[in-house]
Parts: sequence; C-alpha cells; structure tokens
Amino acid sequence: MRTRIIAKLDTKPPHVVKPVHFEGLRKMGLPAEMAKKYYEQGADELIYIDIVSSLYQRDILFNEIENTANEVFIPFGVGGGVRSIEDFSKLFHVGADKVVINTYAVQEKPELINEAAQIFGSQAVVVNIEAKKWDNWYECYTDGGRVQSGKNVLEWVKEVEQRGAGEIILQSIENDGRQEGFDLELCKEVVDSVNIPVVVSSGAGKLEDIKELIEYAKPSGVAIASLLHYDKFTINEIKKHLSENGIEVSR
Amino acid sequence: MSNMVGVINYGIAGNIHSIKKAIEKAGGIVKIINLKEELNNIDKIVIPGVGSFKDAISELKNDGLFEPLAEAIKTKPTLGICLGMQILSSVGFEYGKTEGLCAIDAEVHSIRVEAKIPHVGFNKIDIIKPNQLLNGLEDEEFYFMHSYEVVNFHDVLSTTTYENHLFVSSIQKDNIYGVQFHPEKSREAGIKLFKNFIEL
Repeated sequence: MRTRIIAKLDTKPPHVVKPVHFEGLRKMGLPAEMAKKYYEQGADELIYIDIVSSLYQRDILFNEIENTANEVFIPFGVGGGVRSIEDFSKLFHVGADKVVINTYAVQEKPELINEAAQIFGSQAVVVNIEAKKWDNWYECYTDGGRVQSGKNVLEWVKEVEQRGAGEIILQSIENDGRQEGFDLELCKEVVDSVNIPVVVSSGAGKLEDIKELIEYAKPSGVAIASLLHYDKFTINEIKKHLSENGIEVSR
Repeated sequence: MSNMVGVINYGIAGNIHSIKKAIEKAGGIVKIINLKEELNNIDKIVIPGVGSFKDAISELKNDGLFEPLAEAIKTKPTLGICLGMQILSSVGFEYGKTEGLCAIDAEVHSIRVEAKIPHVGFNKIDIIKPNQLLNGLEDEEFYFMHSYEVVNFHDVLSTTTYENHLFVSSIQKDNIYGVQFHPEKSREAGIKLFKNFIEL
C-alpha cells in the first residue's frame, strides 16, 4: 500500500497559519496559493482546516474554501466548525471530497457521524482526533487543544469507526508544530485499534521522522504542514526520500 | 467530437463540483442534469456518485431519472465514476440487495481483503484490454476511495491490486464505460482521461 503524503493547511481565514503547540499563530500565506503549490509538488491530498471557526462559534467561510479547491485536482478534505448535515452538503458543493469533524461530534452529537456516513458514504466522513497524553492514557481534546472531553482516545476511535467514519486524522497536542518527531506509540496504538485508514499529523521535523513513523506505525497517510510551509522540503523531496528507503509512495 | 457532457445530479450526495471542473479543464462543456428532459440535449453522460448503492438508486428513482437514464445510456457514450460505475451493474449488495441500471452484467460486493477499508489513495491500473478511454494512460496512477468493488469477468478494461487483492478498476460494454477510481482527483492523468472521453 502506498502511504499517502498529504499537505495540511490550518487556516485562520484569509490566511494559512501555523499554530505552534496549538497556541500562537504565525501567518504562512494564502490557502489558494499554497494549495496550488503543494498540488504541483505532488501532494496526494490536501486537508484544509479552519482552526478558529469552532472556537469562535462562527459560520464556515465557504468562499475561502471554494477558492482553494479551484485549481486542485486531488482529494480535498475540509474541516473546522462543522455542525450539521447541511454543513456537509454545502462543503461538498464548494469542492470538498471529505469533511472533517471533531469538536461537535465529541462534545454534542456523535450521531452526526452516523447520519453523515449514511447519506454521503463513509469515505467522505473523517474524524479528527486531538490527543493529549496523560500518564497512562490519551484524552481527546476539542477546539484546537483547548477543551478537555474526558473521552479516551483509544475508545473514541473505535466508537467513531463503529458509527461509520471512513478515516481518522490523528493529532498529538504535545507534538504538534514542534517539529521534533511523532508520538510513535500513540500512532501505532491508534492504527492498530481500527480497520479504517489513519492519517497521522503533528510532529514531522525531518525526513527521518516520517520514515520512522511509517515503518513503525504503518499509518495510511502522513499529513505535513510545518516542513512544507517553511520550505524545508518539498513533497517531491519527501517522497523521493521515502521511496529510496523502500517505502512505497505514489509518484 | 461532441463535447456537451451531461453530469447527472441526483440526491443530496453528489459531489459534482470537482467533476465539472475537471471536464471543463479537459475542454468539455458541462450541463448539470437535474431533470429527465435535459438528457435530450447532451452528447455524453457522466454518472458521478458518492454514498451507497441503495441510496443512489432510490435518489435516481425519486428524481424520476432512473428509467430515462437507463434508456439514454444505451445510445450516448457514458462514463460512470466510482459509485457511478457500480450502479451500472445489475445488482448491488450495500445495505441489502438493490437492482442497478443493468447496463453491465455484474454484481457489486464489499472488497474482500484483509486490510484497511476503504481502499484510499493513488494506485496503478493494469490495462488488460487496450481501449480509447485509457489510451496514453498506461503508466499513470489514479485516486481510489471505495469500500465496494464491481465483480465482472467479461467487460474488464483494467485491474488494480490492493494488498494482494486484484479487483476490476475499469470496465466497458459498448458505449458504456466505468472507472472505480476518481479521474477528477487524479492530477493531470485524470484530465487526460476526460479528454479521451470527450474525444470518443
């Protein structure tokens, strides 16, 4: 199986921002321009998350999303502030192929996963997990790492699979934006807990980190932000490195 | 070359935006088809589809499109994409047993593989029957995102392997084509496929 290399755009519209450790935001560029750049570099997918809409309880900014989707002929996952089947529907209409939910499903209405999977198909329903490490367990957080939920990550991922989610994006609150490597144990435990694809985010600081993650935890995909935004590497360079080390990736 | 392409819009689930964009990029003119009457004024048909086999068929029926579409695809060059390919089959087994458009003698079953499902990501296609739709695309990779597969042994254009499991990734019966992957999400290779389709 080819491991997917995915470019992730965290946005505070109109900008792509880079949250450091889920706090403090740095402006990195405009989503449409960066999406096109990563598409041309060979990204297998794009993920666009509006990281403030849930927190501010404001409506999703559909125009921004449509502009970003426009020149990009690869799968486009969109999330941030998704609260209803109507939100799903509108997002597909502006060009999303998958919709990413987190906060609302954890806090208020996990049934939204079931409803959306039945209507749009499992493959279109992605659940984002923000995992916070405690002594001997991981807890799901919401609202960009700000709010505790009390839910155990390993139980919650099984629940969302049962409810019909088609994919999981896994973030680690400790490792996000630090570029110091992934939480390998967390990644492996989540990948091994479910039968649906898991995309790991949070932590890539060097090419070796990505290789190590894929070899150890075998995620279906790796979502990369900082490494790309700071122009440390292009997607092609990442794929080349992986491929030279015996890891299967798409061209 | 007849390039007025009708994209069937049925139900709540159709992500037709990206298909429309890709066909336009390939030089086609897109007409979104909501009503059966609109099927008359187009040269070619694209059937998109996300969601389940069962819902897709019941949406087509609710919209009054099922029978007119089954009739129209007998003469117009047609391309079914993903679920749109699957519903060309005679019967599907997603959420129970449902009769399809019966354009291709095939059944749709869940992918029989000991691996993560859905099968998601870029993958190769192995062309086993040279054809116009896949012309020039022999070495390309396409984007897959599916949990079900079309089971057919007669009309296969290409196969794909996912974790040692071989499945049908494209089919053709006369003027009707189906692809399990998403050309609209497969970079330039997908645009080229739409070009080939427009030039049929």
